[in-house]
This record gives sequence, C-alpha cells and structure tokens, in this order.
Amino acid sequence: MFSTGFKYFIGVTVLSVVALVMSLFVLDQLAIAGVALSMLIGSTALLAGIAVVTRDGQTKTSSPELSKDLTTQSIWPLVTSVGVVLLALGLVISSLVFFSGVIVLLAALAEWMVKSWSERSSKDSGYNSSARKRLLNPIEFPVLAALGLGVVIYSFSRVMLAVDKSTGALLFIGLGSVVLIAGILFVLKPNMKRSVVVAICAFGAVGIFVAGIISASTGLREDLVIAKSESHEHPECGPERSKHFDKLAEGNLSLRSSVDATIELVDGKLSARIVGFNKPQNSVTIRRSTPTNLIFHNLDAKEYRLVANLGDLASTEPEGKTEKNLVCTQLTAQGAEQALVLKIDKPATVGTPYLLSVPGLEGQSIELVVP
Amino acid sequence: MNHSLRHSNLKSRVASVLLVVGKKYRTLFGVAMASTVAAGCAQNAPQDTWQPKGPNAKIIDDLQQPVFAVAGIIGLIVAVAIIYVIFKYKDRGQPIPEQTHGKPALEITLTIIPALILAVVAVFTFGAIFKLAKTDDTEMIINVTGQQWWWEYDYPVQNEFGINQPIISSGQLVMPVGTKVLLRETSRDVIHSYWIPALNGKRDAVPGRVQTLRLEADKPGLFAGQCTEFCGLSHANMRMEAIALSKADFAKWVANQQAAYVAPEKDSLAQQGEAVFLNQCVRCHQVNGLLRADGTPAIAAPDENVWSGAAPNLTHLMSRNTFAGATFDLLSKQCRDEVWNAPSSEIGEKYLAGVSENCLNQKDLRGWLRNAPAMKPMYANPTQLVATGGKYRGMPYLALSEDDISKLVAYLLTLK
Repeated sequence: MFSTGFKYFIGVTVLSVVALVMSLFVLDQLAIAGVALSMLIGSTALLAGIAVVTRDGQTKTSSPELSKDLTTQSIWPLVTSVGVVLLALGLVISSLVFFSGVIVLLAALAEWMVKSWSERSSKDSGYNSSARKRLLNPIEFPVLAALGLGVVIYSFSRVMLAVDKSTGALLFIGLGSVVLIAGILFVLKPNMKRSVVVAICAFGAVGIFVAGIISASTGLREDLVIAKSESHEHPECGPERSKHFDKLAEGNLSLRSSVDATIELVDGKLSARIVGFNKPQNSVTIRRSTPTNLIFHNLDAKEYRLVANLGDLASTEPEGKTEKNLVCTQLTAQGAEQALVLKIDKPATVGTPYLLSVPGLEGQSIELVVP
Repeated sequence: MNHSLRHSNLKSRVASVLLVVGKKYRTLFGVAMASTVAAGCAQNAPQDTWQPKGPNAKIIDDLQQPVFAVAGIIGLIVAVAIIYVIFKYKDRGQPIPEQTHGKPALEITLTIIPALILAVVAVFTFGAIFKLAKTDDTEMIINVTGQQWWWEYDYPVQNEFGINQPIISSGQLVMPVGTKVLLRETSRDVIHSYWIPALNGKRDAVPGRVQTLRLEADKPGLFAGQCTEFCGLSHANMRMEAIALSKADFAKWVANQQAAYVAPEKDSLAQQGEAVFLNQCVRCHQVNGLLRADGTPAIAAPDENVWSGAAPNLTHLMSRNTFAGATFDLLSKQCRDEVWNAPSSEIGEKYLAGVSENCLNQKDLRGWLRNAPAMKPMYANPTQLVATGGKYRGMPYLALSEDDISKLVAYLLTLK
C-alpha cells in the first residue's frame, strides 16, 4: 500500500515531530532548533506526499529472480558498520574520529547504493559492472590517487623534519633527480612492461612510506624542538634576539590580507598608511576589544623593531609595583616587514596615550587612539 | 498490475489530491499570490533595492535593471514554451512519438546564445565590481564594527571635517552628502553584513578582517538598512540607519559630538540618575567625560562583561533617534514621523534637534531598562552563559526599581 520512499520520509517526519515536542520540554529557548525541526517536518512531509502520490516514481517492478542471480558479495555493509562504529565512538572520543566516521559512512553508503542499483540495471552482469565503473571510477580514482599521494607527501615531510637542513636539501635534490630519471626512462621506453612500471612506482612509494615511519619515530631535529618550545607571541622587547623564532610565518599570509595600517619607517621618520586615507597619518584609530593587524615596514638602513606601549599592566604585588605593557615586533632588517597584532580593551587615560615607537629613534611616535 | 492500469491509477490519485487541495486552498492561494504581486507596488518601502539614492547604488541599479529585463524576457519565453508544450502534447492516450537524439546545430546554437548573453552580463558586472571597489578617491573614513546585535561607528581624526578627536556612535551612521565615504568594516564576534540598499550593496563584516564599502548620498535623507548575514538569535533585530546631512549640518553634528560632557544639575533627578548609571551601567557603557565620585574617569569594561567585548557608547545618546541596535525608536511615533517625512531640505534641522523630553519614547526606553531581554531576544539569561564564560551577548536584566528607571531616564535625557 505504502511505497518505500513514503515510509522513509513519513518516518523522518514523525521522528522530527517527536523531537520538536521533546525540545519544547527540554530547551528553554526553542528558536533555532524549532525553526530547523519545523522546516525538516515540512520538507519531509512534502516529500512523503510526493512519494505516495507518485509511488516512488516506479514504472515497473523489478524481477526478484533477476536480482538474486546478478547480486554479488559486497564489502560495503561491513564498511558501513565500521563507519557507524567510528561515528558512535567519535561522539565520545574526539571530533576527528567522528568526522572520519561520517566520511567512511557517506562513502560506503554511496558505493553500496550504486552497486545495488547497477546490479539490477540489466540482465547482463558485464554491463552492470561497467555501469558501476562508469559512474564511480571518475570519483574513486582521483580520491584514491589523492590519498596515496597524501601519504607519500606526508611521509616525505616527516623525513625532511627529522634530518638536518643540509641533508634535507641533498635528499630533496636526490629524490627529485630519481623522479626525473624515472620519468625520462618511462618516456624513452614506452613499451616497458606495465608490471615493471608499477613495481618501480610501488617500490619508491613504499620506500618513502617506510622512511617516513622511521623518521617520525626518531623525532624532530634539534633546532625545531627548541623553536617549538619558544613563545611565538612577540616574546621580546629588549636587546635579546630569538635564534629560532619563525617570524610569525604561519600568520603572515592571513595577517597581510587584512591589514589595518602599515607603519613605515623611512629616513628615521615614522608614518602610518591606512586603507582609505590618501596621505600618511600620525595616529591610528583602533577599535576596542578587536584584534587589529599592523605591519611594520622598515625602510631604514639599520635593524629596528616596532614597540607598542599600551600603558601599565595591573600590579600583582602588594607594593603596587607597575610594569609597562609593551608589545613588540622582532628586530626587522632593512626592507623587511613584521606583523604586530594588537587587541586593546580600554581607551588610554588622559595624559598617557598609547604609542607606537621605535627604540633608538627619539621623537618619533604614532598615537594609538582607542575611542 | 499492468502498466496502463498503474498509470491510470496514478493519474486519478494526483487528480483527486489536486481537487481536494484546490477546493480548500484555492481562495487562500489566490489571495497569497495577489498579495505578493501587490507588495511590488508598495510606496513606503525604505529598503527597496530599486530606488538608488546615491552613485554607488546607481551603479548597481544600472546593472540590475537591464539584466533583470533580459532575464525576465527569457524567463517568460521559457515559461510560455513549457505551458504550450504541456497543453499541446498532453497525454491523451496517443502513441509515444519516435524518439530522436542529437541535433548538433540546435545544441550548438542553444549553447552559444546563453554563453554570449552571460559574457555580456559578465563584462558589465566586472565593470561595476571594480567601480564599487575603488578606495583611492575616498574623502571620509568611518570605521564600522558589527557585534551581536548592533553596529558601532567610529570616526577617526579627520581635520578637514572638523573631527579633531575620535567620535563614537551606534545604530545610526551620520554622513555628509556628496562625500565619498569609505566604511572600514569588521566584526567583534560572528560574521555580520552591512546593507543600506539605497546607498550601496552588501558587505560582510568578518572578524579579523577589514573590508571596505563605499557610501555616498545625493541628497540629505534617512536610509534604512538591515544586517543580512544570519548572526544569531536577534539577527532580525540588528538594524541600522544612515543619515545624510548637508555639509553645514554635518559640521554642526560633529561639533556636538565633540562637545565636552556636561554634568547634570546639582540635586536634580538627573544627577541621581548619574549615580545609578555609575553604579549599574558603566560596567559596560562608556560616557566620555563622566567622572566617578573620587574624580577619576569612569572607564567602562565591556570586555569583562560582554562576549563581543563592547557595548554602545552612550556619550551623546539623545542626539540619535534609535537605541538597542536601531531596534527601537528613541523618538515617539509622532516626532519620528516628523523627521522621516520631512522634506530633504529640513531633515538636517529636524534630526539635529535630537530627542527632547516631550518627544522621548518613554514606553520603550523604560521597558528596555526594566527588562531588556524581554524586548529583544538575547542570550542574557545567567543559566545560558556557560558557553561564553559567564559573559552576556546583550543587555541583561538588571532588576532596576521603577524609581531608578525614572532617575536613569532623566539622566539619559541630558546626554544630548
């Protein structure tokens, strides 16, 4: 009487209604959940109606005998169950496991669905198999290739992080040369046996994979371990200089795409270039409680750093000893740039403005105005 | 069951469903369609995208008018063709005609024509995008910051407009006419989107980024807008208004915004209100120039109390016409209508008059002070503050007495 599609959609509708009713009792404010569930109820009820009116769009019945004959063993129910288990475990363990479960589940359901469909598409099992391949191979091959390449690249990156810099450079040149030579060999010998090509590629990939595992178990090289232990939040305003500090390499790209102002040092003079202002400014307005990106561009002959003087830090000692709240860039060489991220919660008190200055340059400062 | 029998059953089922639905809801459907069509004729539509009031909105309008016309004509042709085919080739039991596949000439033509139309549209669209993205001809800068659920405006020092100390306001953006204004937008919490349809298109305000939007008004006027990126519980209440004033009126507005704080008269109700403000409101709201009893400046600390880290600066609250993210009017309906319906030449004078005691919308302001979360949905319930570490997402319920509310209203009225 009722079609399969109708049963599915009406089931989702009923469950959603139950969830909505339960939400009324459980949640204090139903706004977002209520809207979402109401929309789900509306759409699935509509789909249920369409399904029952059109009888799931079926025009002829499939033959049970035919299906039985052409159905082959499938691994996808097993993979689906693995996905469900990962999903459930992920809810408890970590979001990484949860999302892995989601990916496995979606992939398995897609494969299972297409396999079931293809096995019933005709009486010819060869055609059915080719129908499945035609639909899924364009997706499967790139995904598998990307995964394989990802494993190789990740393994190689572990090797590069474990060996010292000069060895790494030699290794990179050596491996690049091997890849180039192999490529030339394949071009010059187009009739080379397929099994030989596969063996060469597989040998190289497995070799890198094993080297990656060994390198990962060895650990990072010493200077990276030291750099990791250093603070990356503008740690120094004094004469000391970090040996391994990475100059905010990980943040520079995003910072530079959203710069509030560029502070330039030219011929011993500081000025601020702000988007929208046609002329250099001698003050920068910074919004309260909002991360603000500044770039220090040193066009002077010597190395300098930009220092933001943000008043006094609240005292933690009973004597009321105050400490300056300073935020600094690294020492910046001629022509180089450094980012400075400021977040200021309160305006400066009258008479003690917040200032940007460069140690070693007297009389040069830019006021930071916080309205 | 054979195919023709199933087909006939399906048809009868669909027909019966349509008949029931048709009988029951035909009138309702007709009214809904007529209302939708009639809505297009509305005269009082302050957020109408088809009525540009400045050169930037005109650039968009000049693009969307012909594109809409072309798309409308094509849509009409397609709809008529579909209706014709439906009726002409309706299933009357006739045999299925011979199926053909592949008409290269027709397929190539039907690919090239849309491609050409889209290419022409793309050329003009890119032209409009580049014109709207210009920043090198800017005459004035205003920083715009979005947060749940209000907009803050701050005007950096710009001596050519008489702004020699920063001005900070909220809810209503005030700008001079005939001036290329560049908004530098960002957000303190989630993504919002700034949109004054009469003056330009939309621009997202994204945390950690500064995005620009050009505004320019041809004539003095008031222009309504709305946050257009879903940003949480009170997204629908996150409104804004742009007020374009003549250059002379704008100079007066600037002078007023930079005027020093004037303390309420001694022993007045407003002075008692100032004490209540210092006790309750200054935790989040800044009033520039306000001093504590010991003579030190009262510096608000919204970063310690509010999730976004900011609350509206109330220094010249009564020079604005709205409050609570432009959700409510500070002016009574009659006084507000006088401003909104004033001719362009008189808008400046009416707007600069601010909010007098007679014009104050006492009902909404008192209601807001009495229980703000009841008027505008906000996550201000202490039981729901775990996710934000105890910080509010809007103004909380302060349990003020009616006496304190009266004092506060009297004090706020002095913030002209």
